[in-house]
Amino acid sequence: MAEILLAVERLKKFFTAKRGFPNPETVTVRALDEISFMVKRGEAFGLVGESGCGKSTAGRSILRLVEPDSGRVTYAGEDILAADAARMRVLRQKMQIVFQDPYASLNPRRMIGKALAEPMLVHGLGTPTEIEERVEALLAEVGLPPDSRWRFPHEFSGGQRQRIGIARALTVGPELVVADEPVSALDVSIQSQILLLLRGLQDKHGLSFIFISHDLGVVRWFCQSIAVMYLGRIVEIGPIPGIFDEPLHPYTQMLRRSSPVPDPEIRIEPARFGGEVPSAVNPPAGCHFHTRCPHATDICRQIYPAWREVAPGRGVACHLHGS
Amino acid sequence: MATAFKVEPAEPVLSVQGLTTSFRVSGDWHAAVRDVSFDLAHNETLALVGESGCGKSMTALSIMGLVPKPAGRITAGRIMFEGSDLVSLDREAMRRIRGNRISMIFQEPMTSLNPVLTVGFQVAEALRYHRAMGGAEADRAALDLLEQVKIPSAARRFKDYPHQFSGGMRQRVMIAIALACRPQVLLADEPTTALDVTIQAEVLALLAELKQAYGMSMVFITHNLGVVAAIADRVAVMYAGEIVEVAAVRELFRRPRHPYTELLLRSIPRVDRHVSHLETIEGQVPSIAAMPAGCRFAPRCPLREARCDAPPPLAGAAHHVVRCWVRSEGGGHG
Ligand SMILES: Nc1ncnc2c1ncn2[C@@H]1O[C@H](COP(=O)(O)OP(=O)(O)OP(=O)(O)O)[C@@H](O)[C@H]1O
Ligand SMILES: Nc1ncnc2c1ncn2[C@@H]1O[C@H](COP(=O)(O)OP(=O)(O)OP(=O)(O)O)[C@@H](O)[C@H]1O
Ligand code: SF4
Ligand SMILES: [Mg+2]
Ligand SMILES: [Mg+2]
Repeated sequence: MAEILLAVERLKKFFTAKRGFPNPETVTVRALDEISFMVKRGEAFGLVGESGCGKSTAGRSILRLVEPDSGRVTYAGEDILAADAARMRVLRQKMQIVFQDPYASLNPRRMIGKALAEPMLVHGLGTPTEIEERVEALLAEVGLPPDSRWRFPHEFSGGQRQRIGIARALTVGPELVVADEPVSALDVSIQSQILLLLRGLQDKHGLSFIFISHDLGVVRWFCQSIAVMYLGRIVEIGPIPGIFDEPLHPYTQMLRRSSPVPDPEIRIEPARFGGEVPSAVNPPAGCHFHTRCPHATDICRQIYPAWREVAPGRGVACHLHGS
Repeated sequence: MATAFKVEPAEPVLSVQGLTTSFRVSGDWHAAVRDVSFDLAHNETLALVGESGCGKSMTALSIMGLVPKPAGRITAGRIMFEGSDLVSLDREAMRRIRGNRISMIFQEPMTSLNPVLTVGFQVAEALRYHRAMGGAEADRAALDLLEQVKIPSAARRFKDYPHQFSGGMRQRVMIAIALACRPQVLLADEPTTALDVTIQAEVLALLAELKQAYGMSMVFITHNLGVVAAIADRVAVMYAGEIVEVAAVRELFRRPRHPYTELLLRSIPRVDRHVSHLETIEGQVPSIAAMPAGCRFAPRCPLREARCDAPPPLAGAAHHVVRCWVRSEGGGHG
């Protein structure tokens, strides 16, 4: 059995927000509604689901970039949510994040060499000379020319910026990287370059990933397990490829059938639904998915289905697969 | 589609011939779209596919007469539609065609709907303008359109504002606006890119259905080869401002000929099966101010030879053309 690196238990985060025009109302957004999952050491764990289902909130809450309301996050046996500021700084070296748009998180007036050196200076990871050398090594590792150190973020293409974002996450030598849509903004040919880079890092350093994406093809290629989220909850978890070959939850099935495949002989099947997608502000009663589910029955409209483990590492929340 | 009789190819609905659209970048004019030619047949869906910046939107905007001025202009070519060359039409004549005979769904959905006008009003607008319909008549027709694009409880939502709709529903509204005057040609620029996959699948199905019902032709712009496979009859692959390959959809996916198309197809992770080796294309697309003099793909091409230093023509049998010195040789097989 591989070691459990990260355990997330009943993690919850609600936001209050003002929504509506012309008369805005204060609403509660149930962004994360008690999700639980585990990431093994060395594994890439995918989080998929539609826009607004809570993927980014999950990634950020785990790193405490937003404070979760309740739940537990255990990293190598240590309770992260209970860690004080000093301890959190140590943990932050082990857990890093890569964003979809690294440009937004880079200071436009700071040269890349400085941006990469800074986290190491903050964490006191070596002498200035050692840090210089490490910056050079990191640039080579992510496939950027050495003179990148003297250049500014705007001088790089989207793919190169993503390499910078990855290099920056690696500066402090993390064990777990939360990658939030790291290739979503990139063209296919660049996307595959970055995926291969990340896979190389996983193999070479034994890195673990929480890999957030809305592209099932990318997740299938990169991850070993995934959790499918719908309106703030996890509806199915399982290993790859099993979960794609035999999806259990009707929502996973719908995602799978709707995902385009580069082969004109295989037609995607649109859901015959056509209605509005409900939001995390007002999730439907019972199973949140019942308004779009072709198999919904009375119980689905009233009671949220209990989580059921159907095989080791494989679980689902759906009355079709209930007791 | 198997028909009993071989029908002579009819006049194309739209014919783009040698279109070149240029932009002024630090004092010099550079072609963002270069020598682009294609015909669009009646009721056909042609996909324009390629990576960011390759000129897809600019091709469509050129057809619409909406190239941003004064930075850009059409510098060569003809766009033949219903007997006239759109490039040489005056503003007033172009205005009568745009949104009427040729419609476009624009790439940014949020910028194309006016946030302070109701959805119903915006759909009816095209009818009031082009069809000179009165208020009540236009509203009735607009409601009918919203029902055709399957907005649930369309009557109740007629007076809602765009922000009250989800992304998928807003895109349906955009489709309704584009189809209001029953255009001959619909230019759909990344109409599903911002949508979740389940909603994308629904919108693609809707577009295919409406195209059939209206007897329209469609130019469908996307960077997603999976979406191309789902919707296109024929595909034109663009790279760095040029069309590099055109073929029927099955032919293109089964026998890609341009090295770019071939590599691209092998660099896509797939949801339906395990891909053991993911291909990459080293380097990146050249900028319009620094295009290679010969084949524009040459700096990234594994098949590059000495002759690739000269620009290759789009060549081959009519059903499958390719812009590549190496791969157009012995072209025109069955
Ligand atoms: N700071 C915030 N304040 C209020 N609401 C928020 C905040 N952050 C996120 N939300 C809401 O929480 C829900 C989940 O958002 P989140 O960004 O986690 O979704 P996501 O799955 O990452 O979506 P996407 O695929 O679009 O990135 C959404 O409804 C979002 O609008
Ligand atoms: N206003 C402008 N000034 C200068 N160059 C421009 C301008 N607008 C577009 N271009 C150039 O024209 C080229 C083609 O742009 P276009 O928008 O057609 O690309 P695209 O294929 O639609 O890309 P995307 O997939 O990102 O939408 C780009 O390389 C871009 O740099
Ligand atoms: S619980 Fe019911 S509504 Fe929910 S997915 Fe399963 S069958 Fe569908
Ligand atoms: Mg997100
Ligand atoms: Mg575009």
